[in-house]
Amino acid sequence: MAGQSEPHISLFSAEEVEFMAEDELIEIVPNMRMAPLNFICGDFGPFLPQIPTQVPLWLAVALKKRGRCAIRPPQWMSVENLTRVLEGERESQGSFQFNSMKALILCFFVDGSARDDIPDMYMVRSLIEDIRDVRIHKVETSLEKFSGTSAVKIPNLSAMEVNIIRPFVGRALQAFYKHDNPEKIPDVDRASSQQTRVANNEPRRPLRR
Amino acid sequence: MANYYNIDDILAEEEFVPVVFHKAANGVIIDPSSETNSVEQGAKVELPLWLAQELYLRQAISISVPACFNQRTRLEIQADAACVDLKSRSPYFYEFGCKIAPLVGDKTIEILLLSAFKIRYKEILTKAYTAVFTTSSKFLTLLTKEETNLYEAAQASMAAFKKWRMGGPRLQRASVFGRKRKPFD
Repeated sequence: MAGQSEPHISLFSAEEVEFMAEDELIEIVPNMRMAPLNFICGDFGPFLPQIPTQVPLWLAVALKKRGRCAIRPPQWMSVENLTRVLEGERESQGSFQFNSMKALILCFFVDGSARDDIPDMYMVRSLIEDIRDVRIHKVETSLEKFSGTSAVKIPNLSAMEVNIIRPFVGRALQAFYKHDNPEKIPDVDRASSQQTRVANNEPRRPLRR
Repeated sequence: MANYYNIDDILAEEEFVPVVFHKAANGVIIDPSSETNSVEQGAKVELPLWLAQELYLRQAISISVPACFNQRTRLEIQADAACVDLKSRSPYFYEFGCKIAPLVGDKTIEILLLSAFKIRYKEILTKAYTAVFTTSSKFLTLLTKEETNLYEAAQASMAAFKKWRMGGPRLQRASVFGRKRKPFD
């Protein structure tokens, strides 16, 4: 239908997407000695002082809070690289360069817990915000293009962006589908019920007493 | 019919359609001010869609195109669909149109709906993700129920994202805390 009234309009909340993004691997430099950790998602460690190792983001944040490690910002999280990405996003209309929402999420964590580990934190943060704004605008323009139920292709969209537009796009596409194919949806049962009703219109057999 | 428990579906079927009775019907009170409890053959009345549909299937009536799909509306939609006040025509314009089209046998209604939605969709899209709520409230009065749902879905998801980005309290305080203990100075 053109717009359903269902309570759960969005499949995930932003917090849930954030939670999923916490599985992203990041490099840390521990300053303590600890045996490898064996999790369902994999083994991490061993942790030796000054030897860099890869751990999930949530673990990195937890260790950082206890002052057990320093987080190493990823390669792309430099001011030069982000400026380049921003330029690229501005120039290429309709296609997306880079998974920036992941970056945004990462940025939040790092901002909260590892302010000291990243050079030019404010610059990085504002750059990522800019990238996000440009991308959201581009998503809107690309959504404006579709009119009808052809397949829609928007590559390189991040989970958070998909999550933002999901309720709207889902309903809009459903409405398009409905109005595009008027025969396909409602008339399966109507045709059959029409036949029975016409038959019902004949004089009826009197009920048995 | 389509969705028994859907309130929008039910309300859409409450819309009135003009019908002509082919058979005289006794014992029905359509107009409370009429003298007799009957409807004559050839009487023109307005019935809600759900009733009209059933009577039509029993071939008791014939349905004509409702006022919200008349020529004037069509011309307005062709001129600029985004500015037409569809809500005053029918709050369930699309739903109603889809239901009425097979009954009146008018293929052009479907085309009208699709073309109207295509144009209005773009308008909703641009308004939903960018406009502030207060500025768009005038625009909201033009939307049908289906379009309002669409608009609100977009607004809600964007608002949720913004809230998350601003970062509220990460941990919520359970309501049981602080309730039992009395405040002391």
